[in-house]
Amino acid sequence: MARPTPTPEIRKAYVLGGNRIPFARAGGPYVRASNQDMLTAAIDGLVARYGLQGERIGEVAAGAVLKHSKDFNLTREAVLGSALSAETPAYDVQQACATGLETVVSLSNKIRLGQLESAIAGGVDSTSDAPIAVSNRLRRALLDLSRAKTVGQKLAAVATIRPKDLAPVAPNTGEPRTHLSMGEHQALTTAQWEITQAAQDEIALASHQRLAAAYDSGFFDDLVTPFRGLTRDANLRADSSLEKLAKLKPAFGLGLDTPATMTAGNSTPLSDGASAVLLGSAEWAAAHDLVPLASVVDAEAGAVDFVHGDDGLLMAPAFAVPRLLARNGLTLDDLDYVEIHEAFAATVLTTLAAWESEEFGRTRLGLDGAFGTVDRAKLNVHGSSLAAGHPFAATGGRIVATISKELHRRKTESGSDKPVRALVSVCAAGGLGLTAILEAA
Amino acid sequence: MTSTVVLPEVPGLGGLFARGAGLSLARRVRSGPTVLPDVEYVVRGVRASSEHLTDYQHLLGESASDVLPAGFVHVLAFPVATALMVRSDFPLPLVGLVHVANRVTQQRPVLLTDDLDVRATATDLRPHRSGTQVDLVTEVSVDGSVAWRGVSTYLARGIFLAGSVDESSETFAPPTPTGRWTLDGDTGRRYAAVSGDRNPIHLTALSAKALGFPRAIAHGMYTASRALADVGARRGDAFEWAVEFVKPVLLPGTVTVRVARADDGFTFAGWDARSGKPHLTGSVTPLR
Repeated sequence: MARPTPTPEIRKAYVLGGNRIPFARAGGPYVRASNQDMLTAAIDGLVARYGLQGERIGEVAAGAVLKHSKDFNLTREAVLGSALSAETPAYDVQQACATGLETVVSLSNKIRLGQLESAIAGGVDSTSDAPIAVSNRLRRALLDLSRAKTVGQKLAAVATIRPKDLAPVAPNTGEPRTHLSMGEHQALTTAQWEITQAAQDEIALASHQRLAAAYDSGFFDDLVTPFRGLTRDANLRADSSLEKLAKLKPAFGLGLDTPATMTAGNSTPLSDGASAVLLGSAEWAAAHDLVPLASVVDAEAGAVDFVHGDDGLLMAPAFAVPRLLARNGLTLDDLDYVEIHEAFAATVLTTLAAWESEEFGRTRLGLDGAFGTVDRAKLNVHGSSLAAGHPFAATGGRIVATISKELHRRKTESGSDKPVRALVSVCAAGGLGLTAILEAA
Repeated sequence: MTSTVVLPEVPGLGGLFARGAGLSLARRVRSGPTVLPDVEYVVRGVRASSEHLTDYQHLLGESASDVLPAGFVHVLAFPVATALMVRSDFPLPLVGLVHVANRVTQQRPVLLTDDLDVRATATDLRPHRSGTQVDLVTEVSVDGSVAWRGVSTYLARGIFLAGSVDESSETFAPPTPTGRWTLDGDTGRRYAAVSGDRNPIHLTALSAKALGFPRAIAHGMYTASRALADVGARRGDAFEWAVEFVKPVLLPGTVTVRVARADDGFTFAGWDARSGKPHLTGSVTPLR
């Protein structure tokens, strides 16, 4: 295999700020809010915070995982409904739970190439207002009916409809090729790496405690705009404890011959919410009196063949991160922050376990030994999806805005030229993963 | 000397079943022939229709390419073998025959636009511990060379034509699953619609009960073809696809499956997660 060459020196793209609405639990205060409503709210909050009313932004990219076909231009419609200039172009992106991070990566690449001076990346998802479709058989009959010209053809089309075909089809988290839910897939990986419930509960507790601390300290004051009466993420349980978490009954992995360890407490709940991230060149930032927080250095996507059981569904980042760091001449020790999206607490732990495994390092990563160990003090320092909730496409924007602010805070505090870096890692359906390096500006 | 019966087109399975049902009763009550007829059945110039192919591919989870899935070629060609099985001199009754194994050798891709010549023979009538087995061999040729060859093994339970043997069945330990098939009550009817195999044991609980099953059962070839679809594109252009049907899948039902890389290809298994008992096991091995 040819050795990857470092990215050539080009100008930098910076994260200038972020905004999101608090994440709600499915069926909660955002129950009637659509994806377009929430994305517009997140963008408008960003516009208000950074004085972008009437501004023509270079491009806005966002997406939703659960998207209705009528929302074919979701992001453009949100822009048209926002306070941005109507001359702001927009496009939709969809890469399952990596959607939000992918918008950051692709827009920052355009900025680095000089195609854009400014951009807004974002994502939104609603499991409360999820699109419901008709069955394939009913859809086919209705399409045949619309094409039918004679009464006979129309009757023939209608006659193919069975009562069963009338049942609506709601989206689910099942993988299309395996028909196992994401939780069932993770349970297989959790069992493979022998992750205990206690270890998962510790991750969950830390997530709640750190997110609560960040809210209490005012860290999110310029990152979150209240919406529909919600001022903090509805899933946050500041008073959670290991005792309470241990009492929860297992929700996934019940049919396996190993103990089931994954509970509702150490798995993310279905959520509603939206996020947006403001990106720009140094020149654009200066012209708008904005302070760059962090630059988007590089990114690497990965994918695994979970269909044939080679690797766990959510393990792609375990492969992408070693490639990403190698290309940039970095090791885990060179990172000051590691943000691993908590799809499940076990996802974080199986990823860390794979990196710590000599055998995985040798046989699966092609290294001389284990990839390395992540210092837990650097991991998800302001909490992550277990506490905040996980409106699929909105998670990338939440992580990037949060860690960019933290990177800038640390760099400013240190007063030194030493680089301050963060790794962002997001797993996604379809065996996908997207990872990125951010560096304090 | 093998005699050849050339049919003008692939016969419909419905008519063959009706004919087979009548003969089967006679075969069960009085002794019939104990050797296979030395005959081959031939149909030339068979073509697939794109609508039929698309319906099949969508039902089984195959990509809708113009290459005919190996299981779809079986659907096109096997009725020719069935015509042989309902001859009055075929020694086993059609009704009650159990499809116990299937082995397909795909030498090269068969395309939607190919003209297919189908040739079917019956071979290897042999004893089994619970009855008598026979292989139906179907060959599909394009431009004079065999592109696809299927060997379908059937068992006639309780009919001992040539003594009996004792075979020990292998024990099955459920492996780590890679997926699951959730099969609705109409799975048999939907596969019947694309395969033409409207054997009553697959259609409704009532019709299946009449033939001794507690509920309708899935077509074996439906489950085997789903496993082949799960293997996906990496089966390549030429491969051997082998399956043994161990225990019928009652409908509606859930089959836990593993489809995974093995030394020289893929192996697959489908089982009942609750009992740990297998429904089918098999392999897909690329030909080199």
